[in-house]
Amino acid sequence: MRKRFPLKVSISGVRGIIGESLTPQIAARFASAFGTYLGQGPVLVGQDTRPSGTMLKKAVLSGLLATGCQPVEVGVLPIPTILFLTREKQARGAVVITASHNPPEWNGLKFIGPEGLYLRSSQVEEFLDIFHQGEFTFVPAERIKPVIQEKNAGELHLKKILAHLKVNSIRRRKFRVVADCANGAGATLLPQLLQELGCDSLLLNTNLNGQFAHQSEPVPENLGELCRRVKEFGADLGLAQDADADRLALVDEKGRPLGEDLTLALAVQHGLKKKRGPVVVNLSASMAIEELAARFRVPVIRTKIGEINVVEAMLEHGAVIGGEGNGGVIWPEIHPCRDSLTATALMLETLAESQEPLSALAAAFRTYHLVKDKMDCPAELAFRAVVELRHRYQGENISTLDGLKISWPDSWVHLRPSNTEPIIRLLAESRSAARSRRLIENFKKEIKKIIRQLA
Amino acid sequence: MKLLKLNISGVRGLVGQTITPELVIDFASAFGTMLPAGPVLVGRDSRRSGPMVQEAVMSALLSTGHEVINLGICPTPVIQFLVRQHRAAGAVSITAGHNPAEWNALNFINSQGTYLNEFQGSELLDIYHLGRFAHQKLKKSPAVVSEVNPEEVYFSWLKTRLRTAEISRARFKVVVDPCNGAGARLVNKFFAALGCELVAVNNEPNGYFPHDPEPRPRNAGEVASLVRATGANSGFLLNSDVSRVSLVTETGETLSEEYTLPVVAGYYLERQPGAVVTSLSTSRIIEEVASRFQVPVLRTRVGQSALVQTMLQEGAALAGEGSGGLALADFQPAFDGFVVMGLILEMMAVRQKKLSELVKALPRYHIVKDKIICPPHRLHSLVAETRKLYPRAEINSLDGLHFTLKDTWVHVRASSTEPLIRIIAESASAARAQLEVDKVVAFLNRLLG
Repeated sequence: MRKRFPLKVSISGVRGIIGESLTPQIAARFASAFGTYLGQGPVLVGQDTRPSGTMLKKAVLSGLLATGCQPVEVGVLPIPTILFLTREKQARGAVVITASHNPPEWNGLKFIGPEGLYLRSSQVEEFLDIFHQGEFTFVPAERIKPVIQEKNAGELHLKKILAHLKVNSIRRRKFRVVADCANGAGATLLPQLLQELGCDSLLLNTNLNGQFAHQSEPVPENLGELCRRVKEFGADLGLAQDADADRLALVDEKGRPLGEDLTLALAVQHGLKKKRGPVVVNLSASMAIEELAARFRVPVIRTKIGEINVVEAMLEHGAVIGGEGNGGVIWPEIHPCRDSLTATALMLETLAESQEPLSALAAAFRTYHLVKDKMDCPAELAFRAVVELRHRYQGENISTLDGLKISWPDSWVHLRPSNTEPIIRLLAESRSAARSRRLIENFKKEIKKIIRQLA
Repeated sequence: MKLLKLNISGVRGLVGQTITPELVIDFASAFGTMLPAGPVLVGRDSRRSGPMVQEAVMSALLSTGHEVINLGICPTPVIQFLVRQHRAAGAVSITAGHNPAEWNALNFINSQGTYLNEFQGSELLDIYHLGRFAHQKLKKSPAVVSEVNPEEVYFSWLKTRLRTAEISRARFKVVVDPCNGAGARLVNKFFAALGCELVAVNNEPNGYFPHDPEPRPRNAGEVASLVRATGANSGFLLNSDVSRVSLVTETGETLSEEYTLPVVAGYYLERQPGAVVTSLSTSRIIEEVASRFQVPVLRTRVGQSALVQTMLQEGAALAGEGSGGLALADFQPAFDGFVVMGLILEMMAVRQKKLSELVKALPRYHIVKDKIICPPHRLHSLVAETRKLYPRAEINSLDGLHFTLKDTWVHVRASSTEPLIRIIAESASAARAQLEVDKVVAFLNRLLG
């Protein structure tokens, strides 16, 4: 059998395996296309901690230089910090060398446009057209600019976060915190943020050597050590970042992982307390958001999955807070992007303002049970199966914005063929874990039956 | 016409047209694939395109599993010296030498510190054309080590190889024009080590070339007037990577770059007797110098690679050519402008003579050089046509066509670095040399239509 060399080009950039599919040649071509697309001007270049980062970065720098851009190297930084800095420094855009939570043999390039936003799908299309046509606007030698290296660029991000918080009331509480940075880029700034907020912290996995400490998705099954340490340390809360530091999961003072959807719920509650306004979340976020919004009498807008979709709707509707159920909190006061540092600050502020422990704050949302699952299914069949289900459930309250979501008064199920893998993702939420589980199992059975008929 | 030239030791082209990140990565990946395991040195001259090319080179070397020692802006002879010092697997020098600022080039250097030989060069091209590069998985990244002031160890070596005490005692005043190239600023350290007083112009390594970085009288005006104004003992003009030098005497006379080789040979052969290797395009002055020392002159193809390889194979004392580049076997197998400047000062000190006096001892020939632009695919066939012009001449076809007439020679050859045909003639009479060059140029232009 021929060996396959996976290279994935998608709306969120390009990813591949180092030494096989993602070569310096490809990285330089993408950077040349991006430089051509942006036109000449400053472009930030950041990276995560993977060992292949330097090699790819140099290819990217070369492509940007050749197209007349002024690369500004910011080193290893969280993705939200790079997004923030792109706007703050009025750069034309940014390239981040990262494969977020893919295994270490992978790496990739993410492309950020002006204003510090991910490219919209129409922009990605334009940019990829340039890449595929291979006609890059290389500038003559005398218009090539030098590379600028910026050290400690991330402090600007922390400054802005601190400026928007009641720092003193948080400091007064002297919170005890255990933070797991998953040996990701978050380790560059989270410790300093906690220190600025007067926390007594125990830091786990803060090496920047590119060896991820554990599967870096901040889901409960990866947080065993954090939960244990929270109890040992007698902490008020535990924090878990993913490798890019855009998502945040919480562990309560009893050492129990709260589930990522709770980060969003707590953040939305706190955000609405600070300022009332529309809330934007994706289709997969918990119903708790609607309940919260009803309490504050503000509208909820639901979007397709994908950070840029949420961000665009937030900007359009002037949302005061929003995000994704996977722990990606977006608070536009700082910058419209998922940001675990901003989320951390909001969590500490909400704890400081409440006299209750985290477990009690979370209990208010514990009436919902969100179950996530997936099933193997070839991409083509997956789409056809979802179309068939849309017909079958036409009479119900359905949304076809992204796959199929069927809502009932106190439960829902969301079925979505993955864009990157041959699987269907299933999510269900209800007032009981058993019922959510049952919803998922029933739909799995139904999909299997449809697939058999289709095949 | 897109300008890109491959030759045995590298690739050269116009930045943005042919020298693009991807082409550079392809070549450097081929080089990284070819080299045995081990660190690779990377340095560049001061051209504005240097960082773009260097980042691409370093990316490819890392990807093929090599540790990179980043020398930053560094003259090629210093890089060649440091390859042996570091026991490196090889080196890449990013410089287009004497070409204008819009050019750049990769020059590949092997573990002996010489340009790739013919076999290594063709192996490199085979890997490049095949396009199968040994990209590694990089579970652990090879390091990039930046070396600060890499020239210092080189200068302290060179100081011990020259008769530094005698040079210092002479308290020379020297004018130098590094053309804002890789030699800028370093010349201060170099001449200070030799106890010379330095007057430098265009001495910032910023890549703004006030004139083409080609050492020849046309570009030597500033040096000549400064020599006269300051009463200096000599003037030197460097190319962008300090591999070529042309001379200005204490009277302010700008010497043809053809004189660098015979002036140095006239002294060095006494210090170190042995054969002289030169190219077919180089003035016959060297024959007269060699006959004084009763050593043979071996003529071979143009270019550092062929000349230095022949020098090593034949155990010759030196190799050099009319461009002002020469390598001295006793120093290092590399065209080295610092060695050349050092030896000229040493000669002036030891012989206690002025540079003009040393030059006066050499025969005067008149050499005329011209070039015509020619599409790459017609270069060699057009050169071959010129046989018809000289049916009765003695012909050497080692590198283009070299015609020896009674008291004149004419050399017609395809450039190995640009899509050009070069025409060079030398004669005791200036008019005759010009006549022969004009004849060939007119003939070729007719064929080009």
